[in-house]
Amino acid sequence: MPVLKAAHVEATLRKGGSTRVDTAVAPKFKVGDKVVVRNLNPLGHTRAPRYVRCKRGVVQRDHGVFVFPDANARGEGPAPQHVYSVRFEGDAVWGPDAPANEAIYVDLWDDYLDPA
Amino acid sequence: MNGAHDLGGMDGFGPIAPERNEPVFHDEWERRAFALTLAMGYYGLWNIDMSRYARERMDPAAYLRSSYYEHWLHGLETLLVEQGLITREELDAREAELAREGT
Repeated sequence: MPVLKAAHVEATLRKGGSTRVDTAVAPKFKVGDKVVVRNLNPLGHTRAPRYVRCKRGVVQRDHGVFVFPDANARGEGPAPQHVYSVRFEGDAVWGPDAPANEAIYVDLWDDYLDPA
Repeated sequence: MNGAHDLGGMDGFGPIAPERNEPVFHDEWERRAFALTLAMGYYGLWNIDMSRYARERMDPAAYLRSSYYEHWLHGLETLLVEQGLITREELDAREAELAREGT
């Protein structure tokens, strides 16, 4: 097993631990697309927060291709896919009591989303 | 998994009060917990998502009572035991030893 030596600590920390990958994967969505977050309740790890499930938003940015956390946490490999910044209007998430002009941006993977 | 870690959007915990001039670590043990986690992660026996999931599986009531680096330490202990690098008995024995020493 590789051992982290003191001399390599700084370079390792500077490199960071991004899960971005170079795999060529076609995006399911493009900027401006209307999406809805799937009603997912997996027993394992997920990075789809509960408060945006079943909520509608709009793709604001395509961040590129990343390892899919749900599969990766199960040790099932990277299952690489696009990650988007999705904008949700405040009232779409919190209903009529949401503060005016509020919006939330959440980074979401392809497998969390359906077209809306 | 729906657990105590998925706190987004809950207002019952009260407002978030950001600390002024927040230090990177609040205590020396936090620095060590962080370093240990990164050093052990370098072994390549688990990935970042497994690390997060290990923290999320902490007992929900304990999770809400503990600090950020306590979550990290707990997650690391879970991974070390699950990967067979240490046993739960070894961990418990060392904790008891430290408690006797009063540290």
